[in-house]
Amino acid sequence: MSIEFRKEYFADERDDNLNEVGKPTQRQDALGHVTGRSPYFDDHLFDGLLHIRCVRSPHHHARIRRIDTSEAERMPGVVRIITGKDVPHNLNTLLSLLDFGLDDEPLLSDKKVAYKGEPVAAVVAETERAARDAVAKVRVDWEELPAVFDVEDAVKPGAPVVNEVYPKNLFVYHGRYDHQKLRYGDVEAGFRQADRIIEGRYQMSPIEQAPTETCGAIAAPETNDRYVVYTSTQALFFSLDTTSKLLKTPSNRLHFIGGTVGGGFGGKVDSLHEPMAVLGTMLTGRPCKYIFDREEEMQVGAPRGAERWYLKDGVMNDGRIVARKFVGYFDSGAYTRLSSYAIIKGVGHLPGPYTIPNVYADVYCVFTNRTPATAMRGFGITGVDFAIEAHMDKVAHEVGLDPIELRILNAYRDGDMKAHRRLAKNTALIECCQVAAEKAKWPLSQAASQASSLRDGGGERGRLPAHTATDQNGLVSGFTAQSYAKKSRATQPSATPPPQMARHESAPVTPRVEQPRPQPVQPASAPPPPPAATEQRHTRFSSISGLRRR
Amino acid sequence: MPVKVETYDRVEEAARALSASRSARFLGGGTLVMRAVNAGDQSFDTIIRLRDPDFRTIRMQGDGLVIGAGVTMAALVANRDAVFLAPVARVIGGPAIRNMATVGGNLFASGNYGDLAVALLALGATVQLAGSGSRSMPIDEFLRDRDRHATSLVQSVTVPRPRDPATFRFTKVSRVKPKGVSLMSIAALLPQSGGRVQGARVAYGAMGPMPLRAIAVERALEGQALDAAAIDRAAALAVEGIAPPTDALASSWYRAEVAGVHLKRLLAGERR
Repeated sequence: MSIEFRKEYFADERDDNLNEVGKPTQRQDALGHVTGRSPYFDDHLFDGLLHIRCVRSPHHHARIRRIDTSEAERMPGVVRIITGKDVPHNLNTLLSLLDFGLDDEPLLSDKKVAYKGEPVAAVVAETERAARDAVAKVRVDWEELPAVFDVEDAVKPGAPVVNEVYPKNLFVYHGRYDHQKLRYGDVEAGFRQADRIIEGRYQMSPIEQAPTETCGAIAAPETNDRYVVYTSTQALFFSLDTTSKLLKTPSNRLHFIGGTVGGGFGGKVDSLHEPMAVLGTMLTGRPCKYIFDREEEMQVGAPRGAERWYLKDGVMNDGRIVARKFVGYFDSGAYTRLSSYAIIKGVGHLPGPYTIPNVYADVYCVFTNRTPATAMRGFGITGVDFAIEAHMDKVAHEVGLDPIELRILNAYRDGDMKAHRRLAKNTALIECCQVAAEKAKWPLSQAASQASSLRDGGGERGRLPAHTATDQNGLVSGFTAQSYAKKSRATQPSATPPPQMARHESAPVTPRVEQPRPQPVQPASAPPPPPAATEQRHTRFSSISGLRRR
Repeated sequence: MPVKVETYDRVEEAARALSASRSARFLGGGTLVMRAVNAGDQSFDTIIRLRDPDFRTIRMQGDGLVIGAGVTMAALVANRDAVFLAPVARVIGGPAIRNMATVGGNLFASGNYGDLAVALLALGATVQLAGSGSRSMPIDEFLRDRDRHATSLVQSVTVPRPRDPATFRFTKVSRVKPKGVSLMSIAALLPQSGGRVQGARVAYGAMGPMPLRAIAVERALEGQALDAAAIDRAAALAVEGIAPPTDALASSWYRAEVAGVHLKRLLAGERR
């Protein structure tokens, strides 16, 4: 397939002497893949390799009264059975490495399970079959609990408590609120000013990443009291640090080797296999492999989470959108993993590539008795983009405007102020719409076909709203004890947003819009900037919203 | 327990070993059994193989074709006497599957698999079981008690060859093409005499726990000329007495809605 470049656009902003960008490049691993020589983690063979399989909850929500492993221990080929008490630090949250969120998930649960398939014990055996046979002999005495599967049911008073670390079934943002806020201008005033109000509800389902190679890792003893780990991980240092934390083992004793990922798509960042494989090796002194089978990959492997969005637009009769309000619910499943972060990312993206003077969002990260959700290709953005674009079509239909015209009319342009209080630059939605219409032979009005991202932006559109309506809805208490919350609070009223992220500049390209140093404009109750590094104790790399500390 | 493999040279020995053990599975081409091994199926611990060359041959016998249970889909596609079955065998799996999957194994394929068994059901085949309980039975009867026959070894299947190949029709409805599994498959044998259908047999796959006859459709067609009115009447009865399953590919409702559409196209001889 040939690529068509439309170089007439933004010609003066582009350096056409780049070595890679705009040129077809062969993937560095393509040759290995097509010749069958790419080494995957499971291609590393060890003499005396042991196999790990987990005993999993058949219930969506249940208390564990007792785990009886005595019969399983006597099964032929069984070397060791691991339960929660064998895990040195049996509570973690993936993003604790970034100082974001509270530890809420055990490696092997010993008190309660909150999703179907949650592991409560692991069998280490000579063969995979022996491990399976022994798993079938582990007796767990369950006390089934009522379960909740719908995000809005989960936040109702009296709903079953899914995740005891967050008793309201809501992740706590910045130690202060049970949701992530975005406040820009005054949506209620915008709605009063609008000719009509258009509302919509949008629901996305979880999506399994379905990699060809299921998630797994092999650990083996190495010299100098170290462990070597071959893993399918997509995030080697996540896995390394998570293993180090769960097993209370300095990371210099863990020799992690990644490399070829047999399909990831976000599903291989959760780092559950490496700590289990290393733990198996620590307890047996032998190489151990822990790998999902296909059914586990589908049932237990974390998918892209479900999202529900309510959108409410204030629209003028000519199609201009003057206010847009979002209420979003991310289904995080039973534990946090990465949904909390997805929301930060998603809220920074609102209200989509449009310039709307009044924007409001309340986005909830909700715990339900479903499989924990994690990363998948553009997560945090794709779901709400679906909602936004479906809603744009609905608005176009209701005001009787062509859907592409509506998008061009409301598109952001260079120099416009975005709801996250940065000036838009290098915008190109208008040009994308024009080319798409041209390719589809879709007629556009003269005004729409002559519009440009370079013109008519900035000025009044580049100013922050004179007034932003703020509130304290969803304020929580009792979340100050943990470091991330404390830090957040300590720096919260900081009026100086962190400096701009370093960019990789290439050649003499002049940016269309000079990004002003952020004015000390009062950000009102805008989402507080991420915890700045007032205490250097745990801050290692960039903060969660991608703003680099320097 | 580790999985044990036993290999036999003679059909009788294999049949005896299979019937003697409740935890044994017969390995045809392995497209179902080895998948179960890989997925850690704990319901069996012994795999029985057979090397008898007779088990893999196709021969004519009167008006019928005797197909060894070990014949692969690829061999069926390549056999000139089995030309009427080639369109069925050709849509089962991809080339790798067709090189391994066997006729006997297909009789036990459940869920969205087992397209050949649907065709054999419409054609009125008989199934020969090997060993001490050696006997022959209509495929209808065999499929009805399929689970009970899991410990018997199918030796061969005898298929009456349709006199006019145009009277046998088959369609497979799948979401993915090629290589998709069946959302449903429909096979129909529509012999005509004096311009009227005589002895119609219509069978569905993936519309129940095993391949099923569409009795109401057959009755509606019997004695009728295969014209638009008769086809409409038959299509209206497409799921009469049938409760289609809900699975990953389609809901029961969807299957019930579209069965008549696909049946109508098949009966009218429309290309899909």
